[in-house]
Amino acid sequence: MLAFAVRRLAAAVLTVVIVVTLTFVLAHLAPGEPMLADVERMRIDPRTIARIRAEFGLDRPLAAQYAMYAGNAIRGNLGESFTMRRPVAAVIRERLPNTLLLGGVALVLGFVLGIALALAQAVRRGTWMDGALGAGALVFYSMPTFWLGLVLLYVFGQVLGWLPVGGMTEPVLHERMGAMGRMFDVARHLVLPALTLALVQTAGIARFQRGALVDALGTEFVRAARGRGLGGTRVLLFHALRSALAPVITLAGTTVPVLLAGSVLVESVFGWPGLGRMTYDAIFARDYNVIIAAGLVTGVLVALGNLAADVAVAALDPRHRA
Amino acid sequence: MRRRLLPALALALAACAKGSETTSAAPTGGTLVIASPGDADVLLPPVLTTQVGKQIADLIFPRLAELKLDLNTVDDSGFAPSLARSWEHRDSLTLAFHLDPRARWQDGTPVTAHDVVFTWGVYGDTLVGAPELPNLADIAAVEAEDSLTAVFRFRHARPEQLLDATYHMRILPRHLLDAIPRGQLAAAPFGRDPVGVGPFRFVRWTPGAELVLEADTAFFLGRPRLDRIVWRVLPDVSAAVSALIAGETDAMETIPQRDEIERVLRSPDLRLVPYPSPFLGGIAFNLRRPLFRDRELRRALAMAIDRETIVRSIFGQYGEVPVGSTVRMQWISQGPVRQLGYDTVEAKRTLEAEGWRDLNGDGLREKNGAPLRFTLLVPTTSRIRQQAAVLVQDQLKKVGVDVRIQPLDFPVMMQRSERGEFEAVFFSRTLEASPSTLTTDWSTSAIGGVNWGAYASPAFDSIVTAALAARTRGAAAPLFRRALEMLNDDAPAVFVYSPRNNVAVHRRFENVTIRPDSWLVTVATWSVPPDRRLPRDR
Repeated sequence: MLAFAVRRLAAAVLTVVIVVTLTFVLAHLAPGEPMLADVERMRIDPRTIARIRAEFGLDRPLAAQYAMYAGNAIRGNLGESFTMRRPVAAVIRERLPNTLLLGGVALVLGFVLGIALALAQAVRRGTWMDGALGAGALVFYSMPTFWLGLVLLYVFGQVLGWLPVGGMTEPVLHERMGAMGRMFDVARHLVLPALTLALVQTAGIARFQRGALVDALGTEFVRAARGRGLGGTRVLLFHALRSALAPVITLAGTTVPVLLAGSVLVESVFGWPGLGRMTYDAIFARDYNVIIAAGLVTGVLVALGNLAADVAVAALDPRHRA
Repeated sequence: MRRRLLPALALALAACAKGSETTSAAPTGGTLVIASPGDADVLLPPVLTTQVGKQIADLIFPRLAELKLDLNTVDDSGFAPSLARSWEHRDSLTLAFHLDPRARWQDGTPVTAHDVVFTWGVYGDTLVGAPELPNLADIAAVEAEDSLTAVFRFRHARPEQLLDATYHMRILPRHLLDAIPRGQLAAAPFGRDPVGVGPFRFVRWTPGAELVLEADTAFFLGRPRLDRIVWRVLPDVSAAVSALIAGETDAMETIPQRDEIERVLRSPDLRLVPYPSPFLGGIAFNLRRPLFRDRELRRALAMAIDRETIVRSIFGQYGEVPVGSTVRMQWISQGPVRQLGYDTVEAKRTLEAEGWRDLNGDGLREKNGAPLRFTLLVPTTSRIRQQAAVLVQDQLKKVGVDVRIQPLDFPVMMQRSERGEFEAVFFSRTLEASPSTLTTDWSTSAIGGVNWGAYASPAFDSIVTAALAARTRGAAAPLFRRALEMLNDDAPAVFVYSPRNNVAVHRRFENVTIRPDSWLVTVATWSVPPDRRLPRDR
């Protein structure tokens, strides 16, 4: 098991290096240059911008820039943001926890809802309810994330007023709350963005899980469990579901990049101060160091997600340790 | 008497300009939560490059004098005292400012003329890379005559000397910044935790989320009426309007889309405060290309575009057709300016005369076998420009011109515009109060800058130079009008629209006045009556 984990870890490190290198090359080769947006928006003289580009070494050959970046990155220096004029590492430290909170809650929520939906479908397989639940989930699956976010925001935030429309905390009042109050405040602000991300994932997870459950419900050991007189719910949860979880756990690893991609839009709609929105802004401004750092973080998260899924599946089923 | 009048004078620029209400009797208290489309970059005025950063800096770092609401940039009467309680023109090249002795940095240190000298040094240092640097080129030196007198020496006698000395520079605390190498100022911690001298002081900044300022109760010109201002970053316009309607935020600077404006108008808690916009949208032709070197062709294209219909289609009542390369915010836009009117008959006649004829009956004009066709660049991020481009395409098709719209990622469009790699581009400019934007946008010296189409006219250059050197507004006005008309006649661009800005603001706010070039600069006069306050106002 240890050798398996080490092999997977090495592959994960290699993946991250490739992701960062590709991001670096693509960001620099993409047309458009840093800070050009300011020429139109802020009437900044292009000659001033050219001077700032030179200050950041952007007038050097790409290979030289990459060597400098790699050398600094190994020492933990991810460079300075051209637009925020701050060390990128500090910016990532501020934003990453917010994205992890949003993505983590959405991931858990998506799986809980997806598995619950799959269970409901599996026990009613072949009925109209099974079809209706599947179709309903597909509706959410086919919705653009930002549009679903806007709809939820409009209904639950603006019309019903049950939940906050945007931001991560209540302005002014959050500072006056106690520790529990602040946690509750963040949780309230988290509901809509997390639900938006989760609902889009739910259908895919449910479809996957339903298939695995239906297969599991037809296996010998499940029939044997029923034959021993165990209750339907117990058989479903502790026998069929357990054996049907492996493919869905693998799916969790591949869901991480989808969630990160979705967070770009969801963070924009809900004003959630995470990595996603920052990355979008950085791409728009061609803020190379931030783009590459975002690629690094994304690469690490995806690699870790897959690593965790591989290890979890291997722990559940030794046949996967090869 | 003068001492007592000054606070109200500077606090209520609106009252100054209108000569009417003052707000000294308004109660203090209240929180203004602003839905902001983006975050600030850094709160150090010489290096900031975002509109939000500028708005915040306006409230922390005042200028020596402030423009009044009518944005008269030429006469001294257009300015109100701020850090300087008075000023005097000692000769045509020397302007002396007498600082208000009550002014204190928010750490208690007095503001002195040495701060002013230091500030000019910072803005003028190329290591800092201040965007305003080109606007300060006429200032030869700044000296401290004594601790409260700063003397500006100019290279040329120009009527906008007071603007040059005050508008582009916000005074900085020398005692806190002098030790930092100039090249490292942008990344200095000061820019994340600034100490200013304005009506509001910095409290807290959660990047990407919110930024909080609180009233400086010891502000030397009098305490602001509001207790605090919060900027909440809500990048999506629809979501930001929803937050406004739901009461989570109180104000939004610009609502660009008509459908979103209608949503605001349906909310009983909100109102719109219209004000002239600094934005100008238009199509610039690349005069390096043989097609657009033909002045008559450009004029024909300009005449074939029905700008009024475009403005009404996109903006409804919330936009207007500009009279030229100016916006209503600039005083030069007042009065009649000759333009090329919408006239498809004349446009077709001109095209025929220039040899552009539809010989094969396909509805498209040709000349020497080449069709009359060009590509128009538009940014994918601007719905307005994309809509306008489609309308222009349709209108020009009717006179036999084929326009191919090429939507581009914004930085790519900017790169191609800057390098002159385009035929026509749909631009949007943010103009300043000063009509000197005519020089920075269209003069020969601006080629390589934002004169993307490389329009070069010695006659235009000389008339704008003469207009900027005119001693009075009365003398400058006809010269600027001729410059605008010259530009319209030469048609290096078609100036299509200028949106009418609307600040959406909660009705509980009173004394709301807007200075068009900087919508929050008068926010110290806004107030909330005690009986209308929300929990966050307390």
